Amino acid sequence: MEIKVSKEGMEFEKELNELDLLVLDFTKVLEEIGIRYVVVSGYVPILFGRSRSSEDIDVIVKRMDKSEFHKLWEKLKEFECIITEDMNDAYENYLMEGHSIRFSRKNEFIPNIEIKFPKTELDIWTLQERIRVVLNRKVLYISPIELQIPYKLFLGSEKDIEDARYLYNIFKEYIDTELFREFLKKLKKEEDYERYLR
Amino acid sequence: MKTPHIDLKELEKQKKENFIERLEFIDRYAEWVKKKKNKEWSRQQKKIVNMRV
Repeated sequence: MEIKVSKEGMEFEKELNELDLLVLDFTKVLEEIGIRYVVVSGYVPILFGRSRSSEDIDVIVKRMDKSEFHKLWEKLKEFECIITEDMNDAYENYLMEGHSIRFSRKNEFIPNIEIKFPKTELDIWTLQERIRVVLNRKVLYISPIELQIPYKLFLGSEKDIEDARYLYNIFKEYIDTELFREFLKKLKKEEDYERYLR
Repeated sequence: MKTPHIDLKELEKQKKENFIERLEFIDRYAEWVKKKKNKEWSRQQKKIVNMRV
């Protein structure tokens, strides 16, 4: 794997798969209208080569007011919301109530992009400290790997543990050990780290 | 229809062993990805992802 890792983020090229293209097309719209976002969870290991697919891609977006959300809704012309067709319903009864909404490409159901507003301090931190990734000269933002691996251990399914193990194998030479250890401790996953990643 | 006897302990053991084997595969796969050029690993990954999508 040829990847540049620096304080500014990561940069690499790959042959793009359908999920990469979906993420890049969707995040391009968010970028165009200045909506801060971070891609988290299952897509992160897939971005870096994990050999599995996913039916959804989790994205945390900054809390928007209704007019900003309206602008986003209008801009997402290539996509459709598969939860509700009504913009007001999506905003008021889903996003503002702490639920997520999902967008897929027109006339498709899967894969889809699941967006939600930050709910926890951890969500807010992830959005603030997101990592810039330049993929085939296009920019996207992902959760810091130092959080992503312990968080996958926290989720705890076999698939999540496999994702954590994969990311750790790929990034162990690059991770900020202090930050990584802190998240392991806060999520009470030190034992799982010893068990599954060492 | 006569169904087989199911030994749950035996199945749990098998499940655990399968999981350990998958983790070992992931180690091998990650090492392979790290050694290969991006073009090579991503070409193969694309097949898997697109097939399932």
